Amino acid sequence: MSRSQALSSFIESAPPGELSDVTKAIKNILGEESVLSELEPAFQKHNEEQLSLVKLPGSNEDVIISPYNSLGDGRYYDTENQSSFAYDHASLGGTASDVQSYVVESNHEDLVKGLLKTLRSHGTEHYPKYHIGVYPTSDDLQIALLTVSSKYSPANYWNGRWRSSYLYSPATSTLTGTIAVDVHYYEDGNVRLLTNKNVNTKVSGSGAADVVKAIALAEKAYQENLNKAFGGLAEGAFKSLRRQLPITRQKIEWEKISGYRLGQDIGGGRR
Amino acid sequence: MAEPIDSALDLLRRLNPKDVKQNVDNIINLNPSLEEELLESVDIPLSVKRCSSTKRDFLCCDYNRDGDSWRSPWSNNFEPPIDEGITPSERIRKMEIKANEAFDVYRELYFEGGISSVYLWDMDDGFAGCVLLKKCTSETAVNGGSWDSIHVFDAQDRARTAHYKLTSTVILSLGTESEALGGLDLSGNMVRQVEQDMAVEDDGSHVANIGKMVEDMELKMRNLLQEVYFGKAKDVVGDLRSIPPLSVTNRDRQTQREMISSMSR
Repeated sequence: MSRSQALSSFIESAPPGELSDVTKAIKNILGEESVLSELEPAFQKHNEEQLSLVKLPGSNEDVIISPYNSLGDGRYYDTENQSSFAYDHASLGGTASDVQSYVVESNHEDLVKGLLKTLRSHGTEHYPKYHIGVYPTSDDLQIALLTVSSKYSPANYWNGRWRSSYLYSPATSTLTGTIAVDVHYYEDGNVRLLTNKNVNTKVSGSGAADVVKAIALAEKAYQENLNKAFGGLAEGAFKSLRRQLPITRQKIEWEKISGYRLGQDIGGGRR
Repeated sequence: MAEPIDSALDLLRRLNPKDVKQNVDNIINLNPSLEEELLESVDIPLSVKRCSSTKRDFLCCDYNRDGDSWRSPWSNNFEPPIDEGITPSERIRKMEIKANEAFDVYRELYFEGGISSVYLWDMDDGFAGCVLLKKCTSETAVNGGSWDSIHVFDAQDRARTAHYKLTSTVILSLGTESEALGGLDLSGNMVRQVEQDMAVEDDGSHVANIGKMVEDMELKMRNLLQEVYFGKAKDVVGDLRSIPPLSVTNRDRQTQREMISSMSR
């Protein structure tokens, strides 16, 4: 793997809320302060994929960075503020500047407005801390609906992020997208949960409420399945790897271990 | 500023643990001076070799390695063969044979399959060693996983007792995939240390003492892994998103608070 591929893979694998720690470690391993500009393409990919947030100058509201609101050349737009801004990926933690008025032109202007409102009320009901974005695609055939919810608790050695990204096609009433969960726990270890679920569903109706209802159903079903999967792994794969106690339900008598005969006294065939 | 090795270890504590081997290789390519220290201090999933004289599988780590060959605990021979590879003294090898027999029983009782290997080596004031255990469930199964235990210890001889220092790492990787769930990967490692003084009558006591320490440690770590993998991870998901509407949850909490305060009045 080349140097730039290796560095990009580190940035791509950075857990939620730990990009600056990862970058600091990379700088120190290389002994180079100047590596930041080299990492810029990887930062851009990471920021857009992870739906990173940035505060616009003079505002307290965070807005999302994503492939769907990118205008190219490091500029992005925000539908609600009706503005565009420059984003510096190479400066760690990312800063926005050069805010200009920007009104997105779309045949679905009213639907976008409606979706912003209903997706926000859905978010308020299910995400303690979240940000949303709604953007018509550049060909104006689809509308992207994004939700990102992150919670960082580095003092307790864990961080997590939930991301939902959907594309809604008004002409065909279809909703496609992905839900992804990323959880990192790192107290005396390093444990990572990474999930990815494709969503592909038909929306009955054409109003904003119908689209968000389909999203709500898909997300609820997914979270219930995810909770079941934890139980399934604990009872299934985990148990079959290692028993809590031997089949005798007793700890080993180590002084008598040479008296144990494999396959006979202790049950269970050899594999 | 932190030492590069500390930054490398910090980075490995953050990046996806499933890719630890690739990440170690990448860090070494970026800074070759870190190679020796990284290979010594980072645990990666154990690889398996077959002992050609006994036809039994054994586990490989830095402690049974000499150049590009690994010593089999079953035959004491290196695979592939080398001239004058480093082997333990006669006394330590005798203990190593006993320990391998004992942990083979342990492996069958707790893992009902898998592979175990124990390696011992001489020290000035005693000896040191590692106990390795590995089990993978069928890789073709929808619900798959792997468990690697790496227990590294040293034993310092004292009058009628020995002082043991044990550092244990468990690498646990679980994955599942289905239409309804999509893909899920839950992987990682946890490390714990313990020190203990125990009575020693003869070399057989050492094997029993180490056995007890490893058994207690794995029981503790299995419980810990269960808590983190299936408790903590699930709780964090619940912190990110709530299945019941938050307005209902908040209203219930409010009602509960009012009831408690009216009762205490």
